[in-house]
Amino acid sequence: MDMSQYKSLFLSETREYLKSIAQTVVALEEAPSDRAGIDALFRAAHSMKGMAASMEYREVVTVAHAMEDLMIRVRDHGLPFGGGVADLLLEGADLIEGLLADVEADLEPRRAVGDYPQRLSAYTPEPQQAAAQPATAPEPAPAARTASAAADTSRPAETAAPPEGAQPVEGRPAAPGEKELSGELITVRVRTELLDHLINLTGELITNKHRLLNIGKELDSPLLKEAVSENGKLLHSLHDEVMKVRLMPFEMICDRFQRSVRTLAKKSGKELHFELEGREIGLDRGILEQLTDPLNHLLRNAVDHGLETAAERVAAGKPARGLVKLSVSRDRDRVLIKVSDDGRGMNPERIRQAALEKGFITEEEAERLSPRQALMLSCIPGFSTAREVTEVSGRGVGMDAVNASVQKLGGTLAIDSEPGVGSCFTLRLPMTIAIIHALIVQCGPLKVGVPVTVVHRTVELRRDQVETVGKRQVFHLDDEPVQLLSLNRVLGLPLGRFPSGIVPLFVTEAKGRQVGIVVDRLLGQHELFVKPLGRPLSKLHGLAGGAIMGDGEVVTILDLADLL
Amino acid sequence: MARTVMIVDDSLFMRKMLRDILEEEGYEVTAEASDGEEAVEKFRECRPDLTTLDIVMPNKTGIEALKEIMALEPAARVVMCSAMGQESLTSAASEAGAKAFIVKPFNPELVARVIKEVAES
Repeated sequence: MDMSQYKSLFLSETREYLKSIAQTVVALEEAPSDRAGIDALFRAAHSMKGMAASMEYREVVTVAHAMEDLMIRVRDHGLPFGGGVADLLLEGADLIEGLLADVEADLEPRRAVGDYPQRLSAYTPEPQQAAAQPATAPEPAPAARTASAAADTSRPAETAAPPEGAQPVEGRPAAPGEKELSGELITVRVRTELLDHLINLTGELITNKHRLLNIGKELDSPLLKEAVSENGKLLHSLHDEVMKVRLMPFEMICDRFQRSVRTLAKKSGKELHFELEGREIGLDRGILEQLTDPLNHLLRNAVDHGLETAAERVAAGKPARGLVKLSVSRDRDRVLIKVSDDGRGMNPERIRQAALEKGFITEEEAERLSPRQALMLSCIPGFSTAREVTEVSGRGVGMDAVNASVQKLGGTLAIDSEPGVGSCFTLRLPMTIAIIHALIVQCGPLKVGVPVTVVHRTVELRRDQVETVGKRQVFHLDDEPVQLLSLNRVLGLPLGRFPSGIVPLFVTEAKGRQVGIVVDRLLGQHELFVKPLGRPLSKLHGLAGGAIMGDGEVVTILDLADLL
Repeated sequence: MARTVMIVDDSLFMRKMLRDILEEEGYEVTAEASDGEEAVEKFRECRPDLTTLDIVMPNKTGIEALKEIMALEPAARVVMCSAMGQESLTSAASEAGAKAFIVKPFNPELVARVIKEVAES
């Protein structure tokens, strides 16, 4: 029997099991006697073994078999499910993931699994349940420690293909896990390129609709207009449906966060409870792919800097165990992702002081900042108030990178924090990045688009509302001074003249502060199908892509975060 | 002679492989189920001539499902699928009325032969 036809099914199903193993292991650490979880782990290992045996991938069989036997000991022979068992299972999952990468690359999955099976069969838990102190819990054997540490922090060097980054690209079905594995939903696996193709076609149709609308106007034909408008409605539904298909549950990436938070907690010696909410919420694949790094950063900050040590917490009258939460929710057409902790919180005063000392802001500016604005100063590149450099979080990098990636996705970042109570970082993201609503503005001969998600508002100022403070021009928005910048100047175009005495601008955020971007004309909001720029244009700073308007005119989409 | 088959296994991979083997032999796979509970439900609906039943599954094991299926239809032809190393479970399945066993990983010829014997019994 030709088994190669089953390879992709083997890969996708085994990966589903690996993911459910990672989730279940973390859940079981919280509730070690949960029988259903123990059964599920056993079945997952058992099924992987069976599939691998059919494919004749011997190493995968060996690892899965060892995991299965370990779970039999937990299930039937009273081996307690503790940190040691969890580590071994996760190590096995990593070994299999590495072997799958070989299979995928059409290599024989023959990388050595070392003494993994022996260590599992010889495993006995530490006396007295040392797991109560995760940071100092001795591992079963020195070899296990190095191996699992390496697997936790980064993939082994020989993993040529980057399985983590590549995961969402491989088009796995929606919402796997135990429920899905039990086959409740009828799903079809579709290659993701096909979905990209569909969204491309839909985008082109939308561009063409605008063209037809323009023709309808010129011909002044009510019948044509009606037909085009009807077509527009259908296109709208088509777009919605295609978008839905492209949405992938947040779950696709969230198990790796469980893993990394667990590792961070161990390293920093802090006790914490990690909560994950909203794994079923769908996000566009393109956005999902870009979220791993910023979220890892925020979680790392939460564990490393946000949470206090158990002793500090107890002294402050808090439970010894900290809480870190990652939650995803929908807010109309936006997705909200929150990373919060109940740790020491951030002190706006200290941040303001530090920014002043480092010369990021002037004394005058410092005085005017609201506490919330002060917190956003932490997003200025090079800013950090971490008192010590730790292995995991480093210093001086982080929030600026997070903010930049969020803005690149057309989203915004907000920070809420109360000293002694905790912090919450909110990412507000669009559901899709291919078809966007953009504010179109005229700058000299150019039409440029700015995603409406980063535009706070548009303003038309009278000249006398513009004040000059030092070298800067500002205007007052809700009693706060907002600096003005000319987009023409940024783009190297001749400055606008504004003969009517009205200065058009839009307000956005740059480096944590509001700025007013002056343009020649505000042309209104438009639905645009954004196409990535090919090389060499893609190398230019500040450009997010291009789009074609209904009249055939090309619009350049700006990446303001990068440009300003 | 038995023609219609229901395949029960929690792994899509295994179901697909078994389906391919059986269809190649001319059987008609009329139902698939991915856990014990679904197996009993679908058996009640479709009454297949023959059922292949995996042992390790969520929401009712294969042995539990087998007992319920035999209660519904004492003449049911059920072939158990087990992995190597599960020999201890086979006697329980025989007692509960299983007609035969096939062992994973599947050897297509062996599977075809065992299924044929049971189907023609």
